[in-house]
Amino acid sequence: MYHLNQPIQVQLYYFFSSYLSGNFGTDPQTGRSIASEVAFYLPNTLELVLASFLIVVVLGVGLGYLSGMRFSKKSDSAIRVFYLFTWSTPTFLGAIVAVLVFTSYVPIFPSGGMYSQSIVPPSTITGIFVLDSLIEGNIAAFASGIWHLILPAMALALLNFGIIARIMRSSVLDVRWSTHVKAARARGLTEGKVWSRHILRNALIDTNTMVAMMFGWLLSDTVIIEQVFAWPGIGQFGYQAIIADNYPVLVAVVLVFTAGVIVANFIADVAYCVLDPRITLGESA
Amino acid sequence: MSDVNRLRRLLFANYLSTFGVITVGIFVLLAFLEVVTFGRITPYGPYAANFQQTNVLPSLAHLFGTDFEGRDIFSQVIACLPVDIGIPIVVVLVSAVLGIILGTVAGYFRGWCDEVIMRVTDMFLAFPTIIMSLAIAATLGPSLLNATISLIFVWWPPYVRLVRGSVLEVAAEDFVSVSKALNSSFFYIMRKDAIPNVLPSVIVYATTDIGSALATLSTLGYLGIGIPPEMPELGKMVSSISYNLYTYPWQVIIPAVIVMVIVAGFSFLGEGLRESLDVKLRPHILLRSKPLEALEDSAKTSPASD
Repeated sequence: MYHLNQPIQVQLYYFFSSYLSGNFGTDPQTGRSIASEVAFYLPNTLELVLASFLIVVVLGVGLGYLSGMRFSKKSDSAIRVFYLFTWSTPTFLGAIVAVLVFTSYVPIFPSGGMYSQSIVPPSTITGIFVLDSLIEGNIAAFASGIWHLILPAMALALLNFGIIARIMRSSVLDVRWSTHVKAARARGLTEGKVWSRHILRNALIDTNTMVAMMFGWLLSDTVIIEQVFAWPGIGQFGYQAIIADNYPVLVAVVLVFTAGVIVANFIADVAYCVLDPRITLGESA
Repeated sequence: MSDVNRLRRLLFANYLSTFGVITVGIFVLLAFLEVVTFGRITPYGPYAANFQQTNVLPSLAHLFGTDFEGRDIFSQVIACLPVDIGIPIVVVLVSAVLGIILGTVAGYFRGWCDEVIMRVTDMFLAFPTIIMSLAIAATLGPSLLNATISLIFVWWPPYVRLVRGSVLEVAAEDFVSVSKALNSSFFYIMRKDAIPNVLPSVIVYATTDIGSALATLSTLGYLGIGIPPEMPELGKMVSSISYNLYTYPWQVIIPAVIVMVIVAGFSFLGEGLRESLDVKLRPHILLRSKPLEALEDSAKTSPASD
């Protein structure tokens, strides 16, 4: 696919055309095709990232909303200090502390890997371990998968939810004293309805952008989290490629990460239309 | 009120920025002193081994304890500060200047100029930060300059979006139209009207951002990429003694906590400044999203959009 005897613009043409047809070349370290290796590692990372993404959204939106509701009360300050500190924590510190505390001092979680050695892994259907074992009805594998997933997913989520909480809080503060909320109250809506329909929904519009960006940040952070928790995902695959100067694999990994970010942003753009009926897709405003 | 007084009131306006100013002040001062005294402020030589006192617990003689060769961890941390505070500041400064130049040009001239700059910015924004800077730093090879370049490469796009968004707002104001009608040049309008209005939000964002840059830099160091082997750096320090994690956890945790405290200092300072300067945090301007921007443009009956 490289055609190294050709001029550089022709090489570029061959590079793009083979990438577009799904041929990422051959891994010089293993001799296997990079596409098959990516297909093996990517679902593992997706499992980790999607799990922590769920936790991030629930924690970030929930705590940010609560903090905005309780503006300038003690609980607001407590939540703010909590998310500012977790957000300032470098990923490696959080991962190290999580490993130290929960595998050594209070050994309730395994220190790494995706499932216990004694477990027979389910056959590959979606490639995502937890889903596959659930589909096959393999309860032991499912439990083991979840048990191994909790610690890295929680670590990844706790270190990243801060920015969502921060945006959520400031959007709630922007919305809660606006005129349309006043109007809703004047029409005699119950306080619960005002908060859920008029404040939460409007605050979510701003938060939506951050949530999409969050997917990319979580993907980025897997490079460290997978390293510390020995998670066989694409972050670790990419890191091994970087330290081995394995450029064909590195290019493919960066491409996969970037594609993930773009897909997340696309989903966010679609979500705008659901959240905000004033926006329509495909129409110049 | 004199300028000094105003600055003091701004910096100590609330408890967030007070904490931030004090933390940042202490660490920046230590880093500065370390540089100007050529490393004479550390109580011990950061790399002086002392095999009589290995793995000592934190005490008054050794504030953060010693490592497996008896080297004082407190001195090592101080030795790391110039790199760990200097590089993020340089990265953020260069990104902010790049952002102000590209953002004002894009926001003021609109049209194809805007399109080209913003599409390129969007392209760079799609790269995931850590993996991209890792890849660039690894490709360029270990040196401080290369680590800085690799960080700047992924760091500038949000600044362009931030500045462009603010310039769009300023350009719609009457005083800019008047200035244009008086035949002021682009540079005059930028200097007198646009940049003074854009600067507060850039400064607030950049303050928090220095912390994020430090977190990413120490991650590069932790993964052992970009920072040259002989250069002291906090993340590298953490990973170089991380096999001692279970036996001597403080040796690993203390340098990492120092990173956290500095990052927290900068983000508290930024958050506090944002509150007292009343700069709104608008993610759709900072990051990307066409729909809301289009909505705002149409909602605004702007005299500048001709």
